[in-house]
Amino acid sequence: MSSISRVPELVEITIDGRPVEVAAGTSVFDAARMNGTPIPTLCHLQNETPVGVCRLCVVDTGARVLTASCVRPVEPGMKVVTNSEKVLQARRTLLELLMADHPSPCARQENSGDCELETLAKAAGITQSRFARRTVSHGIDDSSLAIAVDYDACILCDRCIRGCNEIRNNFVLGRMGKGYSAGIAFDLNAPMGDSTCISCGECMVSCPTGALTNKTVVGTSITAGPDAQGFQAEELLQLSVFKGISGTFLELNRGAIVKRRFQPGEIICREGEFGSTAFYILEGQARVSLSAPIAHVKTQGGAKGLFKKLTSTLAARDADVRSEETRDRTIPIDASVDLAYGNPVAELGPGDLFAEMTCMNFYPRSATVLAQTEVVAFEMLRNVLDIMMKNKSFRAEIDQNYRRRALENHLRGVPMFADLSPDFIEHLKGSVELQRFAPGQVIAAQGDAAKSFYLVRIGFVKISETYPGGELVLGYLSRGDYFGEIGLLGGGVRTATCTALDHVEVVRISGDDFHNMVERFPSVRQGLEVVAAERSAQSQQRMQTVRRVPIDQFLSQGLMEAQSLLILDLQNCTRCDACVNACADAHDGITRLVREGLRFEQYLVATSCRQCRDPLCMVGCPVGSIRRRNSLEVIIEDWCIGCGLCARNCPYGNINLHPFEVMVEDLERPGRKKAVVKQKATSCDLCTHLKEPSCVYACPHDAAHRVDPRTFFSEMLGGGAAK
Amino acid sequence: MIFDDLRAIQLRYGFLPKAELEALSERSETPLYQIHSVASFYPHFHLAPPPKADVRVCADMSCHLNGASEFRADLEQRFLKSAAADVLIRDVSCLGRCDQPPAVSINDDIFAGVTAASAEAMARSAIRGEAVPEPHPEHARVPCASDPYGDDEKYGVVRKLARTKDWDGVLAELQASELRGLGGAGFPTSMKWDLVRKQPGAEKYIVCNADESEPGTIKDRFIMTHLPHLVIEGMIVAGLVTGSKRGILYIRHEYHLQEEILGEELRRCYHEGLLGKDILKSELAFDLEIFVSPGGYICGEETALLEAIEGKRAEPRNKPPFPVQAGLWQKPTVINNVETFLNVPQILARGAEWYKTQGKNGSRGLKFVAVSGHVAKPGVYEVPMGTPMREVLFDYAGGIRGGRPLKAFAPSGPSSGYLPASMVDVRLDFKALADAGSMLGSGAIVVCDDTTCMLDMALNAVRFYRNESCGKCVPCRVGSQKMTDLLVRWTQGGLAEKQYLADLALIDELCQAMSLTSICGLGQIVPAPVQSVLKHFREEIDAHVLKGKCPSEICFTAAARAGEAQRVGIRP
Repeated sequence: MSSISRVPELVEITIDGRPVEVAAGTSVFDAARMNGTPIPTLCHLQNETPVGVCRLCVVDTGARVLTASCVRPVEPGMKVVTNSEKVLQARRTLLELLMADHPSPCARQENSGDCELETLAKAAGITQSRFARRTVSHGIDDSSLAIAVDYDACILCDRCIRGCNEIRNNFVLGRMGKGYSAGIAFDLNAPMGDSTCISCGECMVSCPTGALTNKTVVGTSITAGPDAQGFQAEELLQLSVFKGISGTFLELNRGAIVKRRFQPGEIICREGEFGSTAFYILEGQARVSLSAPIAHVKTQGGAKGLFKKLTSTLAARDADVRSEETRDRTIPIDASVDLAYGNPVAELGPGDLFAEMTCMNFYPRSATVLAQTEVVAFEMLRNVLDIMMKNKSFRAEIDQNYRRRALENHLRGVPMFADLSPDFIEHLKGSVELQRFAPGQVIAAQGDAAKSFYLVRIGFVKISETYPGGELVLGYLSRGDYFGEIGLLGGGVRTATCTALDHVEVVRISGDDFHNMVERFPSVRQGLEVVAAERSAQSQQRMQTVRRVPIDQFLSQGLMEAQSLLILDLQNCTRCDACVNACADAHDGITRLVREGLRFEQYLVATSCRQCRDPLCMVGCPVGSIRRRNSLEVIIEDWCIGCGLCARNCPYGNINLHPFEVMVEDLERPGRKKAVVKQKATSCDLCTHLKEPSCVYACPHDAAHRVDPRTFFSEMLGGGAAK
Repeated sequence: MIFDDLRAIQLRYGFLPKAELEALSERSETPLYQIHSVASFYPHFHLAPPPKADVRVCADMSCHLNGASEFRADLEQRFLKSAAADVLIRDVSCLGRCDQPPAVSINDDIFAGVTAASAEAMARSAIRGEAVPEPHPEHARVPCASDPYGDDEKYGVVRKLARTKDWDGVLAELQASELRGLGGAGFPTSMKWDLVRKQPGAEKYIVCNADESEPGTIKDRFIMTHLPHLVIEGMIVAGLVTGSKRGILYIRHEYHLQEEILGEELRRCYHEGLLGKDILKSELAFDLEIFVSPGGYICGEETALLEAIEGKRAEPRNKPPFPVQAGLWQKPTVINNVETFLNVPQILARGAEWYKTQGKNGSRGLKFVAVSGHVAKPGVYEVPMGTPMREVLFDYAGGIRGGRPLKAFAPSGPSSGYLPASMVDVRLDFKALADAGSMLGSGAIVVCDDTTCMLDMALNAVRFYRNESCGKCVPCRVGSQKMTDLLVRWTQGGLAEKQYLADLALIDELCQAMSLTSICGLGQIVPAPVQSVLKHFREEIDAHVLKGKCPSEICFTAAARAGEAQRVGIRP
């Protein structure tokens, strides 16, 4: 039998008295629309299954009640009235009901003047609703990088829900609750940014109001510039990483992604610079390197004279080994590879994504990337990177890349993992899991069962313990650091809470793999146990202090944060400034000590590095060069690139940047060197090279003391027993 | 079934922990949003740990008329110093114990006729972690005129039909009896069954709507307690006549005792071969099961009920298509009320002619009515259709409590609106009540004596709808809240006449829009109580709004204001 397409049966109806003929099964709404009588609606979109919930499209078919035309198929002989006063009045009331709770002008109206509700209301002559306004706000959700959610502007038309589930098959959005308090929700009512939403944008392009709108990054357009090549949405849609994304949504984000072509030798990005974009290499090879000299600021005290000063400023590691300095460590950078300490150069090629941290968290660029061959790359802003990162195939590619290229270095970068056998690392490559966390998300909570071990890949993780009455920050971990071993080696319970401070990605090693590892490699176990014991002891000590000295003022002044304070006993101090001068003398003429600061009883806490308990300076270092020694002293590693972020982050103004003139390879003219000014950060080093800090030594009145505030103040304040 | 899974989780943890829902999502391959959208819809499920004593006081018509507000305030005083994790006292919609007010539920067990002292004692036991079981008093079966069997062998109609297979005869008899649906809408039963019978396809369903949740409605509870065999027999007959193989009895979750009674009856039927794959060796098949509602008045709306059985949010469907064409799982479905099924065996056993003679004053059949509120003997009565309301209130229900004067009555809960005492001679009949501007509905007669404030009763009714709106369509979701806001403002008085007139016009527009554009009966009926009070008791509203005076001295008390503060706005 041959298939013959049947001519659809025609049905005759009248619309507003006019006879029309339409195919059987047509909705009254479509019948009217096709015959030049458009009916207003809010919940109906032509590409979605009609649901008939806004009721704005009601028409009179002569029944007891009006009928929603979008869900009503035509019937032979039906007499449809779309514009009687009864119908129009009902529609006006519906609009007035919705406008009562609408935050007019909503985000959509403000941005593009096309809020469908406000447009229809205005056309119906409704400017102010006579109904009382909603008393309780449903709030906003700012967690998604790409889409802004204003629940107050939501009219529950269901369009986003159908867009998400029916059109894109993403199954993230649904209705929640009941009645007047009903709303839309992502997954189990998670913040949009934390949900399984892949930022396809369909919900946002479906939304008739300002409930779901495109978030534009301020000053978004990066498409400016001579070599920049902007995109049309259709071009982007061809790329596999944008598969399933709404075209309209990409259109709106067009200014946030650009294709760039770099000539061989051209610099793609420079270490230490601030930026907000990430790069994804499509074609060509690039070299990633650090141009800052691998050295630290050496501070020999007491020396005078030009010659001495010149030679003492920068000291490379082999010339001047500092105690407890990391050995043989790789330098973590913001790319899919790490750099070797000895030779900080690596290759990047097609499929490599770099500057992810700069883009997501706005940290300074961690390294310089130079085109070796002609390089074609996408440069993108946060909202686009976020869309890409939520794309499953792109994620898989990045994951794969990481496992293949960086995981081993990353693991071996932790000294105690150096002994892992190649076969075990191969095994881990297959079994570890990369997990992402949004700012503020808890990775592991104190008291939870310990099931995994984590290595930080991107971002900063805050480790904190709760104690009755508060929270104590134990430290910040960044790339190359690990956590979770105490719970696994100890009682199986998390002893601290680990929270993502910014956009964090961790490598999760399962408890089983972890136990296998420590069983097979006793040296790893030993190393981990030592660190675990140290960490436990430190936190116990802190906790004791916290219990002993619950003095609000003490805490609020940030003194508790300090490990080592320079205090001046004002009863003895004559403000002679000998301490300040001594510091300057000890540190190349630049003082790291200012005789000003908070007063506590008769003591003045001078401005100098406090070796804080909550070392905010460490948050954000793009290359992880500022860290604690095991003595808790803050140390700046040799690969500091001089971006200055730590100095800005220090709440006490105690980190200084020292400029140095150095000769470096001129990247623009290979083979030649040029003189450039590089900065390196320094902080109080407690004059560890001397017997006691210069400032203390220099004080002629015995007024300056370096003290541990935990013991010093607790004795002083602990009930007054000890004077 | 998603509800079974959710109930199992809740039974184990006391609420639905996120991790368990995530595991369920993975196990059942159901998206998270779907689980959440269902779990958050039904009040039965807790998404956060509930307090040790979750005390919920019925706030609707009959309990409200019998001091539920004062009872709740008293109870709250007793727990002023208790921690939120220990006890939470809040309102709940009608619990179906209208004959023994006030009713409370404590951790989902229901206690009727409580005092503040007894409720306090039970809540304290619950806080201590002791079990507070729901009392299930002896329920000696009350003989009813509707039972054609008495002490004889039951299910005679099914036994006979299994032999004769005279389906046309059944439909003819039902048509002759002029039996109409007794759940509220009054659709001719024979026509509904015939429509489903004529639908093509083998997959059809019989659903019994035992989700009565309208304030004042307790007749189905009575029927299921005392005449469960007739309901089941009616369903079997419907199944046999229409050719459906499966029946579902949808019962509200607050009817634990009735669930047990029906379950027992079903087991007996299976044991006796009255249900199953080969009924009484006739090669006819019909299976029947009980579905316990996850809760909410809206589930009584027939298409919302079907959605609930399908494991979705109970949101009414757009009609057409009607359930007779596309019902449960989009298959032809008969949905009838408990009482409609109950009537079938007696009509078939005794004949349509006999059935017609059971009525009075030109009406047909018997009707179970629930009388509650300010009457001396609240309860369920089996009365001839056509009986004047006066007789029902004064002869059956013992008259107004304390001999006070009758002020008003609702013939069928809030949906029927309130009629004044002057109309008490109206007959219990579909047409007579419709002519009076009301309806027979489910026969939930709620009686108000002269101490009642009718504006307060209108507000009470609208608030019930607001709380029970599913939220699917705009007019009902937003309109019921705005209507509540307007009435609350009226109960607070002090409006200028100009503003009052503007409010009246606005309420009128709102009533029109809600009745004309709402998807289902709930939204369409929200205006009824307000409109009836405006029509019959306008001077009372005027006194409130313009003179700041409540003639019944209910609305302007401090207690009323305090209670209002807790109820305005969004439900918790």
